[in-house]
Amino acid sequence: MGNSLQGRLLRLCAKELKETLRDRRTIVTLLLMPLLVYPLLSMALNRFLLSSKTGQAEVVYTVGAATDAESNSLHMWLQDPASQPPDEIVQASGGNLSQFQVVSTNSFSADNAMDPSEALAENLIDVAVKITSGQPPIVEFTSYRGDNDSETARRVLVERMNWLRMRQAEESASRAVQPYVPPAEIRLNSIGEQKQSPLLSTIIPLVLVLMTITGAVYPAIDLTAGERERGTMESLMASPVPRFYVLASKYVAVVTVAMLTAVANLLAMFVTLWASRLLPLLNAGDEGFPWFTMLQILGLLVLFSGFFSAVLLSLTSFAKSFKEAQAYLIPVMLVSLAPAMLSLMPGVKLSGALAIAPLINIVLLARDLLGGVADPAAALAAIVSTCAYAAAAIGVAAKLFGSDAVTRTSEQSIGSLFQRPTKVSDVPSPSSAAMMLAILVPIYFIVSNALIRLLENSQDMLSISSRLCLNAVALVATFGIVPLLVAVAGRYRLWSTYRLYWPSAVSLFGAMLVGLGAWALAHESLVYSTALGFGGLDEEKIQQALDTLAAMKQAPPLLLIATLALAPAIIEELCFRGFLFSALSKVLSPGRVIVVTAVIFGTFHVLTGNALLIERFVPTTLLGLVLGWIAHRTGSVIPGMVMHFVHNALLELVAHYHEKIEFLGDGFENQSHLPSTWILTATLIAIVGMALVWTAGKRRAEVSS
Amino acid sequence: MLVAESLTKTFPLEKGELRAVDQLSFRIAPGEVFGLLGPNGAGKTTTLRMILGLLEPDQGYTEVDGIKTADDPITVKSRLGFVSASDGVYPWLTVREMLLYFADLYDVHPKQAKANAESLAEMMSISSLLDRRAGSLSTGQRQRVTLVRGLIHDPPVMLLDEPTRGLDVVGVQTIFDYIERLRELGKAVVVCTHRLDEAERLCDRFGLLHHGRLRYSGTMDELRHETQCDHLVDMFVELLRDTPQHG
Repeated sequence: MGNSLQGRLLRLCAKELKETLRDRRTIVTLLLMPLLVYPLLSMALNRFLLSSKTGQAEVVYTVGAATDAESNSLHMWLQDPASQPPDEIVQASGGNLSQFQVVSTNSFSADNAMDPSEALAENLIDVAVKITSGQPPIVEFTSYRGDNDSETARRVLVERMNWLRMRQAEESASRAVQPYVPPAEIRLNSIGEQKQSPLLSTIIPLVLVLMTITGAVYPAIDLTAGERERGTMESLMASPVPRFYVLASKYVAVVTVAMLTAVANLLAMFVTLWASRLLPLLNAGDEGFPWFTMLQILGLLVLFSGFFSAVLLSLTSFAKSFKEAQAYLIPVMLVSLAPAMLSLMPGVKLSGALAIAPLINIVLLARDLLGGVADPAAALAAIVSTCAYAAAAIGVAAKLFGSDAVTRTSEQSIGSLFQRPTKVSDVPSPSSAAMMLAILVPIYFIVSNALIRLLENSQDMLSISSRLCLNAVALVATFGIVPLLVAVAGRYRLWSTYRLYWPSAVSLFGAMLVGLGAWALAHESLVYSTALGFGGLDEEKIQQALDTLAAMKQAPPLLLIATLALAPAIIEELCFRGFLFSALSKVLSPGRVIVVTAVIFGTFHVLTGNALLIERFVPTTLLGLVLGWIAHRTGSVIPGMVMHFVHNALLELVAHYHEKIEFLGDGFENQSHLPSTWILTATLIAIVGMALVWTAGKRRAEVSS
Repeated sequence: MLVAESLTKTFPLEKGELRAVDQLSFRIAPGEVFGLLGPNGAGKTTTLRMILGLLEPDQGYTEVDGIKTADDPITVKSRLGFVSASDGVYPWLTVREMLLYFADLYDVHPKQAKANAESLAEMMSISSLLDRRAGSLSTGQRQRVTLVRGLIHDPPVMLLDEPTRGLDVVGVQTIFDYIERLRELGKAVVVCTHRLDEAERLCDRFGLLHHGRLRYSGTMDELRHETQCDHLVDMFVELLRDTPQHG
C-alpha cells in the first residue's frame, strides 16, 4: 500500500495507452489513414484546380481596362502563344484553356467614364486591369474578394503572365540578350469586403475534425464496450478504485490517441499541401509554411479531441458490445456531420448561437483562424462552451461507465440515465457539477446577450432602476436557477449542497474585514490588468460603460447595492462556493477545489455576451481564490457572501460617490492607482480579516475532531 | 469474516418485477468454503454482485471484516477477490502487465505486486507465460491467469462465480486444487455453482438457493438430516418438486 494517487493514475493511464497503441487497428487510423488520405486529397485538389485554371472552355472571363490601349496590351500578351501553359498541363486538363474577353469599361456607362474598379464592384467584369507605362510596365490585376470567379480569373491571368515572362526569359538567355527586361511587373489588388473565407480553409478544418473523430472512435469503443465484451468489466468494477479514476484513465488514453491522430493528420496535411505547392491557396497567397496557423489549429484540435472523446466515451459507456457501440456512434457521427457541413455554406458566421453550437463552433473557428478573421469574443465563447460540453459529457460517461444500468443482467434502459435517483444525497456528484456547467454556459450566453440587446434597444425607455433590476433577474435566472434545478433533479440536500451552515461570529467578522480591504486590491489588479494590455473593450464600448456609470449615479444607492452587491453575493456564492465547491470536494483536494472554482468564477466574469472583458479575469479570479479559501476555512458559504457583499458594495459606493471622496486622492474616474497609504491600510485590514477567518477555521477543526 | 444479512434485490421487468434475491442471510468464517448452489437464475450471481458492491441491495446488507459494503465500499472491495468463469483478459497486454495492472487497481505497492505476481505464477505454474501477450493464451492458460489475478492483492475473502463452467477435466482439477489452496491459506471462500457434484467435493457448508430464497443451509450432514436425501442432486430434485414454478 502507500501508492500516491498521481502515480497510480499515471500507471492506469499508461496501461490504457499501452493497450490501445499496441492494437494494430489504432495504428491504421493513426498513421496509415493520414499517409493515404492527404496525398490522395491533394492529387484530387490539384486536378480540380488545374481544370479550373485551364479546363473550362465554356467559361469566358471578362477583364476590364479603362482605355483601349490597356485592353490592347493585355489582349496582345494573352494571344502570345508563350503565355500558354506547357502542353502537358493543357493535355492533363482536357486540352481546354480559360478564355478571356478584354473590354474597355468606358463603354459600360452612358457618359463613357466608368472606372474598371467600379465595373468590378458592379459585377460587370471579373477582373479589373490597370497598366502603368514604364520599363517594364506595371500591370495591376484587381479581383473582388470572396468572388470565386473573380479570384480564379485573376489567378489564371497571373499564371499566364508568369508563363510569358518565363518563356521570354528563356529566349533572352538563349540569345544572350542583355539586359533582360520582363514584359510586365505584376501587382495584385482586391476590392470589396471579404464575404467568407476561401473554400479550402473551410474544408480543411472539417476534414481534420472528421479525422480526429475517426482516430478517437476505435479506442473509445475498445476501452469501454470492449471491456464488457471481453469480460473484463466486472473484474474492473469489482476493484476498489473509484470508477471516476478508471474512466479518467480511459479518457486520457482516448484523448491522447485522438490528439496523436490530429497531429499526424495536421502534419500530413500541411506537408502534403506544402509539397504540392497548394499552401498559398490556404495561406492568403503566402508561400511560407504557416507555423503559427498550424499551432492555432492544433490548439483547437486539442480542445476538440477533449470534447469529442468525452462524447464518445459517454456513448460507448452505455453499449454492451462493440456492435452496439458502433450502432450508437454511426447515427451520432452523421448527425454531427450535418451541422458541421453548415460551415461550408456561404455567409455562416461564428457569432450568436453558432458560437456555442457544439462541433460547428470549432469548425467555424478553425475556418476563421485560417482566414485570419477570427473574432476573440466569439472564439472564447466557442472555447468555453466546448469545455463545458466536454465536462458534461464526461459527467454522463462517469454516470454510465460500469454502472448498474449497463451490466449484462440489468433490465434497465437508457431512460435510467434521466431518472431521478431514488435516494437523497448530501452533495452533488462531480458529474452533476459538470452537467450544471454545461447547461449554465449556453443559458448564460443567451441570457447575457439577450439582456444586452434589450438594454441597447430600449436605451431611453427603460430607467436605470429597471435596468439594474433586469440585471439582477438575469443573474438569478442563470447562476441561481440552473444549479437549483440540477440540485432538485438530483435529489441533493439543499442545505449541504449549498453549504448553508451557520458560521461563527469571528469568521463572519473576519470575512467582512477581508471584504473591506479587498476592494482596494481588486481595484489595483484591475488597473494593472488594463495597463498590461488585457483590455477587451473598444472605444465605443468604453464610452457605453462610462455612460452607464454616469447613469448609475442617478439610481438610488440602496437599489445599486441590492442589485450589484447583495444579489451577486448571494447567488454567485451559492453557485460557485456552494454547489460547485461541494461537488468538486468529492474528488479534489481543498487547494484544487479553490483554484478550479476561482478560475471558473473568473472565466464567467470575462464572458459578458458581446464583449470580452479580459481585464476582469485577474481581479475576479483573485477574488474567487480568497472567497474559496474563506469557504474552505469556515466550511460554510455564508462568510463568503458577507465578504463578497462588502467588496462589491464598497466598489459600487466608491463609484457612486467618487466626486465627494476625491479628497482621498485622484484617479477613481481615470482608473489610475490608489494612494499608497490606502493600499497599505486596505492590505492590513484584509490581513487581519484573514487571520480571524483562519483562527475561526482552526477552532472549527478542533471542535469537529 | 463475510456476513450477508436479509439481502433482497428486485429488478423491474416490462410487466411487474423480478425478485432475484429474497431475504438471503449467511455467514462464512476464515478457512471455510461455502457453496452457494442453485439452478440458473436462482440469484447466485446477483448475490455475489451485491457483496462486491456492484449492485445495491433493496434491503439488507453485506459485511466483510465487520465493515458494511454500503458504509465503505472501497475498503470492502479491497478485501474481496473475485473470479468468474466469464472473466476475460486484455489481449494486448502481457500476463505480467495485466497482473500488475490489477495489483494497481487494488492499491498494492508496485514492488509487492511484482513479488506477488512471481510467487502466484509459480504456484499456478504460469511463470513461463508471464511475458506472453494474454491474447495468445489457450483457454486453460487464461483460466490460470484469471485465478492468479483474483489473488494478486492477497484478499481474505474469495468469491468464485461458476468457476468450472466450460472447462475440461484438467481445468476443473486446477480449480479444485486452487480452492484447496485457498482453504489452506485461511481464506473465506464463496463458490457459486450449479454443478452440485463438484460442490459436494469442494465445500464445507452449503446454501441451496431457489427463486432467490435460501431453502436449506448447513453442512452436508445437516442437510442430509433435514432433507432425508444423501446427495445434493437429490435434495434439489426434492426442492424443485416442492416449489411451484413461476415465470
